[in-house]
Amino acid sequence: MNPLLVQFLSEAREFSEAIGNKLMQLEGSPNDQDAINELFRLVHTLKGNSGLFTFPEMTRVLHAGEDLLGMVRNEQVVYSRELADCLLDAMDFVMVLCDEVETTGAISSRHAQGTERVTKALRALMPVFPDATENDSRDNADRGTVVPEGSGILISFEGVPAAARLEALRHIQAGDALHWVIYTPAKECFFQGDDPFHIARQVPGLLWGTVRSALPLPPLAELDTYSCALEFHLLTAAPREELEELFRYVIEQVKIVKVDPEGDSVPKDSAAPPVQVEIAAVPSIVSDEVTTAIETILSAQKQILGLDDQPVWKEGRTRAVAAVLKNLSRGLGEETVVGDIEEALSVSLAAGNGAPLLHWMENRRENLTRRPRRSDSATGRSEPPSRGAATSSVPARGAADPVTEEPTKFGRRAEDNLSSARSLKVDQAKIDMLMNLIGELVVEKNALPYLAQRAETQYGVRELSREIKAQYSVINRIADEMQYAIMQVRMMAVSVVFQRFPRLVRDISHKLNKEVQLALEGEQTEADKNIIESLADPLIHIVRNSLDHGLETPEVRRASGKPETGTLTIRAAQEADRVVIEIIDDGKGIDPKVIKRKAYEKGLIDEAALERMGDQEAINLIFAAGLSTAETISDLSGRGVGMDVVRSAVEKMHGTVVVNSELGKGTKIRISLPLSMAVSQVMIVESDRQLFGVPMDHVVETVRVSRSAVRFIKQSMTVILRGRVVPLKTMNGLLGIAARAKTNADDEFAVLLVQVGGGVMGLVVDGFRETIGVIQKPLVGILSGLPAYSGSALMGDGSVLMILNIRELL
Amino acid sequence: MSIEFNEGEVTFRGVASVEDAELLLDWLQRNPAATVQLEPCSHMHTADLQVLMAAHPTIASWPKSPDLRAWLETALKSEL
Repeated sequence: MNPLLVQFLSEAREFSEAIGNKLMQLEGSPNDQDAINELFRLVHTLKGNSGLFTFPEMTRVLHAGEDLLGMVRNEQVVYSRELADCLLDAMDFVMVLCDEVETTGAISSRHAQGTERVTKALRALMPVFPDATENDSRDNADRGTVVPEGSGILISFEGVPAAARLEALRHIQAGDALHWVIYTPAKECFFQGDDPFHIARQVPGLLWGTVRSALPLPPLAELDTYSCALEFHLLTAAPREELEELFRYVIEQVKIVKVDPEGDSVPKDSAAPPVQVEIAAVPSIVSDEVTTAIETILSAQKQILGLDDQPVWKEGRTRAVAAVLKNLSRGLGEETVVGDIEEALSVSLAAGNGAPLLHWMENRRENLTRRPRRSDSATGRSEPPSRGAATSSVPARGAADPVTEEPTKFGRRAEDNLSSARSLKVDQAKIDMLMNLIGELVVEKNALPYLAQRAETQYGVRELSREIKAQYSVINRIADEMQYAIMQVRMMAVSVVFQRFPRLVRDISHKLNKEVQLALEGEQTEADKNIIESLADPLIHIVRNSLDHGLETPEVRRASGKPETGTLTIRAAQEADRVVIEIIDDGKGIDPKVIKRKAYEKGLIDEAALERMGDQEAINLIFAAGLSTAETISDLSGRGVGMDVVRSAVEKMHGTVVVNSELGKGTKIRISLPLSMAVSQVMIVESDRQLFGVPMDHVVETVRVSRSAVRFIKQSMTVILRGRVVPLKTMNGLLGIAARAKTNADDEFAVLLVQVGGGVMGLVVDGFRETIGVIQKPLVGILSGLPAYSGSALMGDGSVLMILNIRELL
Repeated sequence: MSIEFNEGEVTFRGVASVEDAELLLDWLQRNPAATVQLEPCSHMHTADLQVLMAAHPTIASWPKSPDLRAWLETALKSEL
């Protein structure tokens, strides 16, 4: 995939998230003009970016969204929940397209219908869909496709060959709408990969088309081949939608004018029918340009009459002038004066000079140029061919103006990048590699003290030993800082995960007809990227559960004296080297009795357990697989999967999850996770002269227990510690080592108290060693089948430390 | 190369691209009396068309494709 596309996709995701956020924000304060502007900008930019690729589906949807937001921005449409729903829907659709582009590199045609549906839904929210038949230029101002008032577009049928005119006439008589398209490509369009001529050739239903230069082309020596100075004029019978579709990438460079026949002036003479056209609502301002044109024509005629070089041509010239004047008058809708011209002509011819015609012109001049132009006046084939250049340049300039007024598209992306955070996008694999390298460095560095020791004891060079130690302390410090720095790089704020919750909570609560207010706290809390990412799914499960099972409907809440709107709080905080996330709802809480009964019914616990189980224990049953408390199975939750998935996911990250609940008051679920998984703290214990690592997460305390204090209940060893009975197991026994646990000189066992699940248990080992930070490597290959170990780590002296998986072991 | 330059004559073949425009302009400046063979041409980029419109060369043959021919005739003949 090309890098530009990769960047586009990653940006599209960011934009889509930002758009979702803004919509949420607007839900709270629908009149926030800044948010609306920002929203518009985001959609606009995304649309623009999508235009860099051939994803017309995506561009169309975004275009519709942009139009809709444009109206919201101009207060033509009021922001509403439906509108937000619709836009969110559209963004979801765009994301689906992005996913498809990412996996297959293109958008398949099966999305055409989806595009249609989403676009229609968006367009349906617009009060007036910009349409050819609408003269409401207010709505269309942004689109550039409809003639804005006063732009003075004149359709000149000048130069349209008779055959094309006939064809046009047939279409008009058949009642088809004809469109006149003026396509003025941007000067720099060649650089954008456009081939305007190619687009023009593809115009459907083309009756006639020409290409001309807006201004006379410069001599070859000065011609800039890479600057487009041409414009295209097209007469087509295609419907407006098709034209807009064709020109969708350059729509702002195109003017599409509907050609309306002026009913009574459709000529009967079919030889060269001057198709009279009316431009919808040509305003009187046009008369300025028309006046200039008339002036030019009249002064030319005067000049012609004034010529006296060849007397034999005089008569012909006079007749020609009269013909021009007649056509001009007809063109201006003044059929009545034609007779006057005829009269003046015959007088002139009789007199042998042009004076009477000249006189008539002087008289009429005032009328012709000053007369207020009727709004329905038409331009016909009134000007003589020699004046063609003058008339055709009028629409040309008129068409060119809106384009030049628009800022050029170059550099637009730079302007759009408002939040130019000084950040770097780096492939995660590179960071991971860095992390692995620093891990190796930390391990290697730990070999130096051993080397120093050997230098002293084995080779007896104390000086060298001291120097090595000094070097070691420096390297140690740098390595530590480096490790910390790299860990910081991997740190991400939990907001990455949190930001999807406003949408999730909104959607689910709407679906359930519940009123829920979401409060997010501590979004800036940071943790390792892997931790943050693996948090997403468990959190979604919990939030869904809270919304579905925990929070009540407004009626129920009112009945139990609570505010109608429930509150769901998601809070993140850092506690020592762990990140703690709490999901708190003020719903109905978990009823331990119901849980117990359900668990019993499903065979998860037996009768005896049912009897003696405490409330907290019962509540913990929600983490058991196959338990659902909801009365009905909904599509949200209640299938008995969820909370057990949550627990296993959290435990996979060496985290813990605890639930507290008070009936009628609410539920609090607390997830605790390590900040980083890269370096884990392990305590080294010794058993039968072998070293093992025990993750510090599990270690509660280390105690010495006198042999006499150990009690045997049947075959099991126990000890009473601070009034609690703690079961004991020997490490040797668990690992199948045929050796007895050793005691120290005072005949005391070394007992490591570990926490597993909810309970505490004592592990009898031979001795305790230090606690170290290690980079744990998972066991691979054949070793991966050993559940008793969670992984291995390299020690400073090069030996391998096996890390125990306490949960599996016990 | 979709534009062939020969002695006093330039022939458009297939699709003339935007990159050809510069060469074409250069060549037409040096050969102002050149004639242009468009018959084998199926499309030319707007940039090429613009050069031809500015140069007013003599068109010796028109493209076979009727729609391209119609376009080029209106563009190039009206300049005469």
